[in-house]
Amino acid sequence: MDPLTLDASRLRRLQLAGIACGFAAGAWLGAAEAPTKMVTLGLSPVVISLTMVLGVFLARWSLPALLRGTAAIGADVRQAPHLVVWAVLAGCLWAVANTLTVFAIRDIGLSIAFPLWNANSLLGILWGAVFFNELRGAGWSRRLGVLGGAVLMCVGATLLAIASSAGAAGGHSARGVAAALAAGALWGTMYIPYRKAYLTGMNPLAFVTFFTVGEVGMMTALGLTDRGGLGPLVTELAGARDVLFWLLLGGFVWVVGDLFQQYAAKYIGISRGIPLSNTNQLWGLGWGLLVFGELRGRSAATHSQVIGGSLLMALGAAAIALASATGAEHSRWQEAAEREGSRYGIDPAYVRAALAGQTVGAAHTRRNWLDWTLVAGTTAVFVGFGVMARVPTLAIQWGWVVGLAATMMALLVGTGLLLWRTTRLN
Amino acid sequence: MSHPRFAAMLRDPQFWVPIAVLAGGLLVLAWIR
Repeated sequence: MDPLTLDASRLRRLQLAGIACGFAAGAWLGAAEAPTKMVTLGLSPVVISLTMVLGVFLARWSLPALLRGTAAIGADVRQAPHLVVWAVLAGCLWAVANTLTVFAIRDIGLSIAFPLWNANSLLGILWGAVFFNELRGAGWSRRLGVLGGAVLMCVGATLLAIASSAGAAGGHSARGVAAALAAGALWGTMYIPYRKAYLTGMNPLAFVTFFTVGEVGMMTALGLTDRGGLGPLVTELAGARDVLFWLLLGGFVWVVGDLFQQYAAKYIGISRGIPLSNTNQLWGLGWGLLVFGELRGRSAATHSQVIGGSLLMALGAAAIALASATGAEHSRWQEAAEREGSRYGIDPAYVRAALAGQTVGAAHTRRNWLDWTLVAGTTAVFVGFGVMARVPTLAIQWGWVVGLAATMMALLVGTGLLLWRTTRLN
Repeated sequence: MSHPRFAAMLRDPQFWVPIAVLAGGLLVLAWIR
């Protein structure tokens, strides 16, 4: 297919793949927050966050190596090397936001903190419209769908904030709400580098490998500062070795969700991709209520506020998702992409092909020794920590764990196949 | 190294938005800890 053309049928298929990626992202991102419940067992929030990021790092190098290969990633970087800086910057934003969420969970609880930081979708819509021509040429009904959905999400978030003031643990509700909202601002802004990279043509699987360098670097700096040096940090990590597996696993699960989110951002833009990914709020709520028994013993009014607020936010996200991009809007995205290509001197054919879910030239499909080493090394680390792991002494409803995990796997396989057939993971 | 691309990045106003938000996030983190 000529990468310069993008007919209506192709655009619909790309939009469908992007929407499916958004929902799959929600399921996996939501599940990833459950391991942070360990904070109630006395581990430092920063150490929890650092350990999750180490799991993220392993996943962000091994999964792209397995799915696409390091040779293809290298070819992408040679096309647009400046995007490595953007990726590292996005990783720094992610790391600070993730640390803030752990403090937020400690102070106001997972079910409440979750929807607050998901206000990042509002910021994503703003940045998408201002910087990347999203919603331009979309028509009033679609703009209304996206903006009306955003208003619904604001109302839902407000309800949840009110609920938090009634149920905060330890009298730190203000700090917890501030932490959750700041995390939302950081994550919302993190999508600027995402969109920049994907409009310019970088493959999501290449972007995340450099993104994670920023994550690990920033988290290590935060961990060293928080613990007062390398010695205390290593001592705390060693003392927590029998729960590190769960946190590494949380990081790994997060990356699976994040990869879907990256493809959603690429194919439906950040103004729609972020709200869809933010259905992770409902999954997080599901894990919190069904698996960990959160909100047990709270008043009926608090339950109503949390559930009603979450439903409003989900309705808003649905309205946004249904207002998918048309050909007219997509042509404005192409203009933004051409602007990026021109500003940074990128091959126009590379930029246009990537926006259409295709590649220019021969694809690098073979795996090499480095790819298999990354996959084997990551597997060995997880097996090693898994052997040491103990099941945490929390009241967990294992039946719900199995049910939610099976649904996540179904989404993973179904969406992965759709994405492969539509874009070959481009 | 494609020096002109990195120079273009520093001149790109969009580059400084995430930098500013990152600085703000670090300040909030320092406050709540």
